[in-house]
Amino acid sequence: MVEISQIQAEARKIFDTYDVQYILGYSNESFGIQPVPFFAKKKPDVNHLIFSPFCVNNLTMYLKNYEGNEKIGIVVKGCDSRSLIQLIIEKRIPRENLVIIGISCGGVIDQKKFQTKFPDVIGSVDVVEKDDLFIFTIAGKKHQVSKKEVLLEKCIHCEYPTPLLYDVLLGEKKQPFKSESYSDVKQIEAKSLQEKWNFWEKQFSRCIRCYACRNICPVCFCKECSAEQLNPQWLRRSVTISENTVWHLTRALHVAGRCTGCGECERVCPMSIPLMLLNKKMLKEVKDLFEYTPGISVDAKPLLAAYKPDDPEDCII
Amino acid sequence: MKSYTIKKDKVSDFISHLIKKNIVWGPVKQDDTIIYKQINTPQEITLDFLKVKIPPKTIVFPQTETLVRFHKEKDVTTETPSPEKKDAIIFGVRPCDAKSFLLFDAVFKGDCEDPFYCSKRATTILIGLTCINPPMNCFCSSVGGNPDDPSGLDILLTDMTDSYYMEIITERGEHLLKDFIGRTEATQQDTKKRDTICTQAKKSIKRQVSVERIDSILDAIFDSPYWETIAQRCIGCGICTFLCPTCHCFDIQDESSQNKGARVRIWDSCMFSEYSCHASGYNPRATQMNRVRNRIYHKFNYLLKNNQVLGCVGCGRCIDECPVHIDIVEIIKNARGVKQ
Amino acid sequence: MTERFEPSILAFLCNWCSYAGADLAGTSRMQYPTNVKIIRVMCSGRVNPSFVLNAMQSGIDGVIIGGCHPGECHYNQGNYLTRRRITLLKLLLEYVGIDPRRVQMTWVSASEGGKFAEVMKKVTEEIRKLGPIQQIKRSNEW
Repeated sequence: MVEISQIQAEARKIFDTYDVQYILGYSNESFGIQPVPFFAKKKPDVNHLIFSPFCVNNLTMYLKNYEGNEKIGIVVKGCDSRSLIQLIIEKRIPRENLVIIGISCGGVIDQKKFQTKFPDVIGSVDVVEKDDLFIFTIAGKKHQVSKKEVLLEKCIHCEYPTPLLYDVLLGEKKQPFKSESYSDVKQIEAKSLQEKWNFWEKQFSRCIRCYACRNICPVCFCKECSAEQLNPQWLRRSVTISENTVWHLTRALHVAGRCTGCGECERVCPMSIPLMLLNKKMLKEVKDLFEYTPGISVDAKPLLAAYKPDDPEDCII
Repeated sequence: MKSYTIKKDKVSDFISHLIKKNIVWGPVKQDDTIIYKQINTPQEITLDFLKVKIPPKTIVFPQTETLVRFHKEKDVTTETPSPEKKDAIIFGVRPCDAKSFLLFDAVFKGDCEDPFYCSKRATTILIGLTCINPPMNCFCSSVGGNPDDPSGLDILLTDMTDSYYMEIITERGEHLLKDFIGRTEATQQDTKKRDTICTQAKKSIKRQVSVERIDSILDAIFDSPYWETIAQRCIGCGICTFLCPTCHCFDIQDESSQNKGARVRIWDSCMFSEYSCHASGYNPRATQMNRVRNRIYHKFNYLLKNNQVLGCVGCGRCIDECPVHIDIVEIIKNARGVKQ
Repeated sequence: MTERFEPSILAFLCNWCSYAGADLAGTSRMQYPTNVKIIRVMCSGRVNPSFVLNAMQSGIDGVIIGGCHPGECHYNQGNYLTRRRITLLKLLLEYVGIDPRRVQMTWVSASEGGKFAEVMKKVTEEIRKLGPIQQIKRSNEW
């Protein structure tokens, strides 16, 4: 497990060595258990930096509108590093302008699951990782919990716990928790067409079009989203099943081959829509049909800007 | 006004009684989320909840609302949707959410009356539910509210384990009980028990923040770099505004298909970058800092000055749901210490 | 007597191959159903999935995208990119419960007037069997 002193030491080194505009990391707020994204703008700010299994946010989303030439430091977990690679592939930010503190991650905690198990906990919670257990210290008492009970779903099937791109790595290189079997996607695929629509209609009718899924996504960075365009207007602003469905289909298609499965969209959705079921379907198809996995190699070409002459043609008549 | 007690096993009779002549909205569990839905049977409701995800403002101020329909045959004809004839009862409203109705009244029933809101509001009756177990991020008592604040409600129910204490607050509330016999008049003992529960509830609120002179404090720090630090992690989604009981911004758009269409009102969010964008392309609130600062000031300064009402009821939904954990209580607390 | 359902079908045809093919079908007096309405695009690669979704929202029951044969695209690789894009679109539509046969892609060259007419006939009948689009069609009732 990564110690706070390690993170802070590396961050101080970065301020000493490079001329960074800021270092993006996590810090604790004064209330609540949830660490928050933190911009350390000068060396003394480093004292606020922490890392713990509560650090869920994918910080790479703050780089998606990067402009200029400044160097930026960033703390990334395994999943976050893939989003970073994807941003580099798409030329959003040059690799040379990044100083990356990689953290070998043992999984992060789902705030909802934690609060169900330990309601009304205030202030930062001490947590220690021990094999596949978390040991929480809450109000002086120790609680041992199996990781599976409180981890975010995406962590249970994580294939890349160790960052793929970093300048300095904190923590031991880790083996994947379990491989991704796409069993949840296959469950939906097994339904009949009508059953599928019944399922998705229920999900999409809950959508309130807050666009949190889009805004938190590291690869959703169009200056004018097609949902906002007025001339032509693709999407009416009305919240109806037709517009909501088209919104989610549009977004799934626009991030297809670029989404690395960081799961942030599903985490932030206030109406608990299972967005990862859509994005994982695209990830699975992209892997099966085009042997492509987004966010692995900085030299890869974007999926939909490339082709193979023998790409599948089953859909062509 | 009178108070009664109603045994818990009689509550569904009460709800059935209400459904007979009125439209009834109640908290319904949909997977893991609780939202207000129109119900036809009392079994659809759950009263085992802390917070309803989307506040009841959505009933009098729907997210998508038709203002006028138009149709072109030879000439263009228009039609406004006819107002609902039945009363709409919202069952299970938390006092914080009920208080938000007063703010909506101040904004939509002020000098210029919004006929769409007003016709819905006039036929809406609120039956409240005391917060006997305030969730972690609640701070109603800091912003002029209480777990048992009757403001805006017509009836207030307090859970007393085997029964509900039923406080009649308005005549409309009293009228609902007509022909319903499943209740008994509250005894002094009942009232004492209710008071103990409510005092305990208020004590168990975990978050406090002072809003004393908040408008003048905010006046003095408008240009402070404090707002940049607050806003830097905001992603500009609409969660806080859409889930906020008092937020009321909207956009109006025309939708049409061939020879018919409608003018539709939909919720808008000041956190969206295009919210204040002019037709010229110029945006007076171009950065997230401008937008976040504007939201705080709207709630804790502008509404106070213009409508004499605080724009926050302390429900804590924004704190619960913010993707980057921005905390309005911390923002207001720390604003007091910002150098002027 | 119930009226036979006449599907409305939109065909995006690339200017250089499939549109020319459609033109040839016309000049050769080869009949194809009037259900098909054509929008000419310079390349099938111009077709954004949003076009297809928007069409369905407007009540169009089927969408055809016509492009050049692989290797023959006037812009070198537009049709290859479309092939990837439409493959993913159809898979996603099916996954959500919308019949993927409502979106068809075809390679028709400028000399294949006959093939064009045949494909239009075939797709029209297929869409007729599927019935009117329901799921994402806008109700246009307010």
